[in-house]
Amino acid sequence: MAGCGNDDDPKPVPDAGTGTLVFAANDTGILNLTYLLAQIQAALYQKVVTTPPADFTAADTAAFVDMRDHEVIYREFYKSVLGTSVYDNGLTTALEFNFTPYTLTTRKGVYEAARTLEDLAVGAYNGLGRRLANSSYLRLLLKITSVKARHAAFVRDQAEPNSFAGSDVITPTGNEAGLDTVKTPVEVAKLLAPLVPIVLVADNLMRL
Amino acid sequence: MDFLNLLARLADLDSTSAAPQLAAPRRAALGRLGQAGTALLPGLLLSALGQPATAGALDTRTRLDVLLLVRQLAALGNELHSRALGLVPGYPALPLTAAEKAGIQVIQQQEVQRVALFSRLITDGGATLPAAPRYDFTGSRNGAQTALYPDIQTNPDTYLLVAQVVKDVAVRAYKSQVDFVRSDAYLTETMLRSHSAEARHASHLRTMRRQRGAVVKSWVSPNDAPVAAPSPAIAKVYEGESGFIQTYNASDSSGQGGPLVSVPFDSTLPINVATPPLSAEAILRKVAEAFDEPADAVIATNVAALFTY
Repeated sequence: MAGCGNDDDPKPVPDAGTGTLVFAANDTGILNLTYLLAQIQAALYQKVVTTPPADFTAADTAAFVDMRDHEVIYREFYKSVLGTSVYDNGLTTALEFNFTPYTLTTRKGVYEAARTLEDLAVGAYNGLGRRLANSSYLRLLLKITSVKARHAAFVRDQAEPNSFAGSDVITPTGNEAGLDTVKTPVEVAKLLAPLVPIVLVADNLMRL
Repeated sequence: MDFLNLLARLADLDSTSAAPQLAAPRRAALGRLGQAGTALLPGLLLSALGQPATAGALDTRTRLDVLLLVRQLAALGNELHSRALGLVPGYPALPLTAAEKAGIQVIQQQEVQRVALFSRLITDGGATLPAAPRYDFTGSRNGAQTALYPDIQTNPDTYLLVAQVVKDVAVRAYKSQVDFVRSDAYLTETMLRSHSAEARHASHLRTMRRQRGAVVKSWVSPNDAPVAAPSPAIAKVYEGESGFIQTYNASDSSGQGGPLVSVPFDSTLPINVATPPLSAEAILRKVAEAFDEPADAVIATNVAALFTY
């Protein structure tokens, strides 16, 4: 199974922790990481849409329906591009993600969870772009990155007014002042680790 | 025609983002420069043409061209927002709420930071910075023609609409420009990080407009109320944003140039997960929302030109 180093145990379960996903040092590895990000976000937003917090407004729900739809579109897009190279091709059941680090019972908690993941996605995409070999993949990645950044700014503003481009994401001083967040693949894997029931190994992507 | 605009036009004559061309376009660019009727060949352009071409890349624009463009857009944004905030003598602050002002200040300060960053990259590369342009955000070119936005210095809604348009077109232009700097990993990453910051700003301006009653999402949507286009340059800003067709060149893990594949959003992909499902038309509108489209540099420079004289 391309992109996955655990052919012996293709049935990862949330509590076993025995599965390992090794991202390959190529475009397939990169797209499997963006696929995983989209899976996680689609699952989170679906959960919010299905069971919204009591203090959610109609506008909140509409926004999360939009973001859920966008993430499902990304998920299925990446899956379509990857074909049989998609990391969960051989799994009988999809991974189940763990959202217990987040408080999904309040509006504030939901927006903070979305903020964490959208900012992470923007940083991940900004770090992955230059590692892609196929220019047409990069063009598509860029088309998605700005929508992710729009999501990020929106949910940040809802969690805390005017925080859309706060100093925790836009470098405030120095030579990189004014630039958005960037995360290496290993940093992304580490930040995703609490949410996924398998071990993520992104070291190969660092060589790209 | 100002120089930056000329560069942008030359680049766009030779390239489209949809159809990569293999021909070496620099000779053609020189030829077209002649056709454009310009006797002057600035040293800037000569040095640009002297750089090695990468086979198969859309290489009519150099890293310097790209930097000059993004610096131009950041400088324009800085002036637009500085005037709205009352930071420029002769331009009283717009009647924005304290919360609105706070958000605009964030955008304005980050524009300043990016002007400084791009200026440094340009001068570090041995090039000189262009003279600061004169701006007229009413679009009257200092009274030489009928104003496009006559109340922009007094009406926050007009100002925020123009601010949104300028940001959205910058986001689109960044996407097309990354193609021209790919050989430079540092600049590619810098462009990506600036691009997403621009998109955050655009999202915030859209959120502000929605809070003031405009029908507009924080992401570009076919469901947004159409933006009035007092000039053809404005009409181009959202042209092509409502489509659902996305294509890529299939490749093996590291190769390029495989067959063109169209993503089957309208047929086989299971993307319609709402309960009850959306109409076929409605789900494709969501696809259009999910992808921001690139635009050639000239689309952005033509918008900038409306406000520059």
